[in-house]
Amino acid sequence: MVNTMLRGTTAVVGVSDTPWYKRGTSGEPALKLVLRAIVSAAEDAGVDPSEIDGFVSYGSERNDGQRMMPALGTKELRFGALVWTHGGGIPGALGLAATAIVTGQANVVVVYRAMSEYRGRRLRVDVAQDDTSPQHLVNGLDSPAQLCALRSMRLIEAEGVPARTLRDMALASYHHARRNPRAIGRDTELDAETYEESRWVSEPYHLFDCSRENDAGSAVILVSAERAKDLKQKPAYLLGAPMGAASGWGMREESGNPYWSAGFQGVADRLWADTGYGPGDVDVAQIYENMTGMGVSALIEHGFCTPEGAGEFVTFDNLIAPNGGLPINTSGGNLAEGFIHGMSLVGEAVRQIRGTSTNQVPDANLSLMTGGPGDPVVSTALFASAAAL
Amino acid sequence: MEYEFHAHRITGGIGADDRFWESLEEGEFRLPRCADCKQWMWPAHFRCGHCGSWEQLWEPVEMSGRIYSWTRAHYAFDRTKERAEDVPYVVVVAELPGADGARVVGALAGPDSGVRCGVEVRGHIDPPSAKSKGYPAVRWSVVD
Ligand SMILES: [Zn+2]
Repeated sequence: MVNTMLRGTTAVVGVSDTPWYKRGTSGEPALKLVLRAIVSAAEDAGVDPSEIDGFVSYGSERNDGQRMMPALGTKELRFGALVWTHGGGIPGALGLAATAIVTGQANVVVVYRAMSEYRGRRLRVDVAQDDTSPQHLVNGLDSPAQLCALRSMRLIEAEGVPARTLRDMALASYHHARRNPRAIGRDTELDAETYEESRWVSEPYHLFDCSRENDAGSAVILVSAERAKDLKQKPAYLLGAPMGAASGWGMREESGNPYWSAGFQGVADRLWADTGYGPGDVDVAQIYENMTGMGVSALIEHGFCTPEGAGEFVTFDNLIAPNGGLPINTSGGNLAEGFIHGMSLVGEAVRQIRGTSTNQVPDANLSLMTGGPGDPVVSTALFASAAAL
Repeated sequence: MEYEFHAHRITGGIGADDRFWESLEEGEFRLPRCADCKQWMWPAHFRCGHCGSWEQLWEPVEMSGRIYSWTRAHYAFDRTKERAEDVPYVVVVAELPGADGARVVGALAGPDSGVRCGVEVRGHIDPPSAKSKGYPAVRWSVVD
């Protein structure tokens, strides 16, 4: 049954990313980067930064609202929260922001993330939040790349999904980055041969299967659907943003089921139930790909294809704008635009509804953004234009 | 034998698995099972979600199973730098029929040419070392 309290009752009205910096080179701490992103997102929306009264983030974000109030001139902080766990929490953060708005707890809520190695830790260590289990570290498993590699290896060898689907995910992202002047990977001409010849990181992942690490800040601003009509931009209405984990999932180290899952069992079903739409209705998708193979799992779990049909669906031609069946990661995504723990995918999902992407899908009315795959708890969001409300 | 891993404790994860590591230090491979409903529970936890019991039995399990998944690491990441000299190295997730399909991680020992999902493996226990961060470690080898 459609969730009438949350479906289309709020909208993203402002988006902004700072420039992307190679990790450690921004010369600014994360707090300053996120302030820049928030002020610029407020300008984009046409609201004064001092009006922002709600602050929501996820993962290891430590730049809380109370720390930013003096710099934003915040009139009153009315709502603040951090959503579990890692990048899986991004759409859930949007959902929590929307909940705060529709229940009257806050009026202008910013959802944001910033990371910087300037005065900060190595980003990939920061993102892991010191929560890697002994069973992993003792046996030589540290990076998300390795943990995701285990899942994708199972997807390939036991579920029969062709390894070529990983390559085509990467090729689609790098293809889109070529047209995005902000993308850090815009000058990389990735073809099948360059991909295959690139070094292994953790099999089945090559270098180009893995997301980047960048210093940057990223923010989006939500208000009620009613308020959104009076602001500067075409609203991107939030139709739904469920979070969760099915009974075989949660924190189970290597014993979760199905093992190849990105975590969206049940969660994706609830997205379609909450919004009244299905995978066949989606015009464009930003699929959080910490690693390409997890993006393939996310596509399968959202019902775009079955494991058996993945080879046919996940092809370069089908994944690129403007004419693919499901253009994905149209900014270049975490692989080729830049990585701030997945947050910039929200901005790109919104730009597709506005019609301002550098790889615009014509008449994009339904825009999907899936959260960090493989997280013990994940979330997923669907945006709509007024025409699809 | 004095427990070594307590001095090197890794704090991530659930943190209910002390008995697993203590057993390995004693040279025994044991996995937890609910004392009441006998459900295997791995990774270890504090309460059985099936019946509500707070008691676990740590039972010896045969170190024999099949590769459920694996990866060959071509890079020693930040917190596993101790393995830099082993790169590339294979890590195996083994599924153990002796514990209702519990999946236990271990670095591969011996040749890695036959590594593939479904292949039979046998395990042994390595004593604590710097490479395994002061913990004892399960190792899996492909059965010819
Ligand atoms: Zn029980």
